[in-house]
Amino acid sequence: MIFLDYASATPVSKTAKTAMEPYFSEKFFNPSAPYLAAKRAREDYEKAKANLAHTIGAKADDLIITSGATEANKLAFSAATGEVLILATEHASIIENSKKYPTKIIKVDKTGLIDLADFKQKLTKETTFVSIALANNELGTIQPLAEVAEIIRKERENRLIKGNPLPLIFHSDASQAMSLVPISVARLGVDLLTINSAKVYGPKGVGALYQGHQVKLQPITEGGGQEKGLRSGTENVPGLVGFAAAAVEAKEHQNGARKHYKQLVKILKDELEKSKIEPIFLGNKKHQLANFCPVCFPGVDAERVIYRLEEDEIYLSTGAACAASKGEKSHVLKAIGLTDEEIAGSLRISLGKDNTEEDMKFAGQKIVAAVEKELQFSK
Amino acid sequence: MKTVYVGMSGGVDSSLSAALLKEQGYHVVGVYMKNWSRDLPGMKCPWAEDLADAKRVAVKLGIDFKVFDFETEYKQKVVDYMLAEFEKGHTPNPDIMCNQEIKFKLFYETAMEDGADLIATGHYARTDGKNLLKAVDENKDQTYFLYRISEDAIAHTIFPVGGMLKPDVKKLAAKKGLDNAYKKESMGVCFVGEVGMEDFLKQYFEEKAGDIIDAETGEKLGVHNGAIFYAIGQRHGLNLGGGLPYYVVRKDVSKNIVYVSRNLNSKDLWTDELELEDIILRENNGGLQVRLRHRAELIPAVLEGSKLKFEKPVKRPASGQSAVFYVGDICIGGGIIV
Repeated sequence: MIFLDYASATPVSKTAKTAMEPYFSEKFFNPSAPYLAAKRAREDYEKAKANLAHTIGAKADDLIITSGATEANKLAFSAATGEVLILATEHASIIENSKKYPTKIIKVDKTGLIDLADFKQKLTKETTFVSIALANNELGTIQPLAEVAEIIRKERENRLIKGNPLPLIFHSDASQAMSLVPISVARLGVDLLTINSAKVYGPKGVGALYQGHQVKLQPITEGGGQEKGLRSGTENVPGLVGFAAAAVEAKEHQNGARKHYKQLVKILKDELEKSKIEPIFLGNKKHQLANFCPVCFPGVDAERVIYRLEEDEIYLSTGAACAASKGEKSHVLKAIGLTDEEIAGSLRISLGKDNTEEDMKFAGQKIVAAVEKELQFSK
Repeated sequence: MKTVYVGMSGGVDSSLSAALLKEQGYHVVGVYMKNWSRDLPGMKCPWAEDLADAKRVAVKLGIDFKVFDFETEYKQKVVDYMLAEFEKGHTPNPDIMCNQEIKFKLFYETAMEDGADLIATGHYARTDGKNLLKAVDENKDQTYFLYRISEDAIAHTIFPVGGMLKPDVKKLAAKKGLDNAYKKESMGVCFVGEVGMEDFLKQYFEEKAGDIIDAETGEKLGVHNGAIFYAIGQRHGLNLGGGLPYYVVRKDVSKNIVYVSRNLNSKDLWTDELELEDIILRENNGGLQVRLRHRAELIPAVLEGSKLKFEKPVKRPASGQSAVFYVGDICIGGGIIV
């Protein structure tokens, strides 16, 4: 098998798996129980939280552990009190949450990069919440969040001067970026940050929201008051322990991984380019996640290519898995100005840990062969 | 080489049908009919996944693949008909209507215009080129749902799995690597399947309290949420407490009354004749047998005009359901119960 869809799922790393193991059985205790054994589980949980927080330059107390990025995004939106600004390429969970508020959509350029002029113009004294993903999940385009944060800082300053008490919160979903982009909440200048275990070789079903000190959130569940009362429910101890272990591991290998993926992507691109299938590579060459290689073959039905490659046990996708299962055309590719035909011909290739140079050559040849067949077929 | 357009749902029956036709040397074109895509509360419509499954099989078999979008027509001819019938207090069968109006009319005509010589589906039924015949697998026979399709359509349709037993279909499909064999079968009206008809109807009709009355004594037993949601013979969801179950034996939609009975011999539940309308009769040379529900037993009957007469009383089907006629293996027609 050659897996080329790491943007949708990552296998749990050995380190994470080993770290989690004891908490399923011998250390299964509810961390809130009164006996010592349970207190130890509480300690381990808090330690894991601190380790996880550390990978994004935060403290344990800043994190609210959730069931994943989607839930963290929903919790983040509870900070919105009125007008919302989101990027045109945001994930479905951001778009759906924004629908409850008056929302303006910020444009992106053809590479998926934020149009800062458009952002400046749309950011008004009414804006209460801005949500921009650190890296896009279909193109891998990395946004200049520090520049966005600077614009937001100036707007806040303005409000102070004018005596406008309306809060302005900056949220970013860093799920897709976390494994390869060094993250420091302070440097990014965000107030809220979503992270996701499933994208960093941790277990699925765990995520977290970083909450800056000034930000007021509304509880997403009520009950025992866990996670600062914002997300009641018995703590997922193995989940968080696995997430933290995976995140720490990913951070340690980040620099090496980036170089490695760049090399692999180059091999793949070379294979595609030396053929006659004329690939158009999507996204931003300079600001792109190193493991991303989104590509378009106009006139080809990319879904058919995927089914052909399945036969060779090569797995890749057309776009976000959730959009595909709803039969919707990618709003991300629409936002960067692709035609319907180009969208239909687009593949999202995203690399990961287990890919090798040989894999890239082999997969490249197979993709070329499949696309060639489809080009003949459509004639 | 003849060209066959095969309706593909992504399920095992239609997938194997396409594979078999290709082996038999036809030029095969797979078609996904997009009839419905709306999500309902508590149920995500699986059309996109079904389409993906059908397409995957087409790619695997190396056949052409198309999508026919019939959503507008399906809404008009099947859903609107169904709602209008419910509104009249009937219990219509939308699958029969879907086969008559969509699969064996619109799909058939569209395919023919597009260059088909024949069409095919994964239904369990057979034809001899002229007549509609029961499937070899009696247990899966779907002719009950097909009796209203036109003679022209029958003459131009192939049912590749109609001569096979379902377990053999599954085995052969698995052997050919059509690994959608895991998929659960589409049952009844695809889009209502998961949520149930009552929840679907609640999308269109308001709930309105009405009396539940004992058909034998006239006594008021309780309150229901709308006569439109109840079918004759139903015994669940009446909220009448424990004890022996009550059956719905009659309903009056205009007065919003549901009549129930505990008496399984209630005269409302049984009848020895049924009045039919919209009768289709392709031939009738005697020896008539009738099926009153899908897969129900065959009962000898005599058709006199629009009246169907039985030797022994039968359990009365809800009005709007179909009585389907058979002579031997041939499905010769049927009618809608008044």
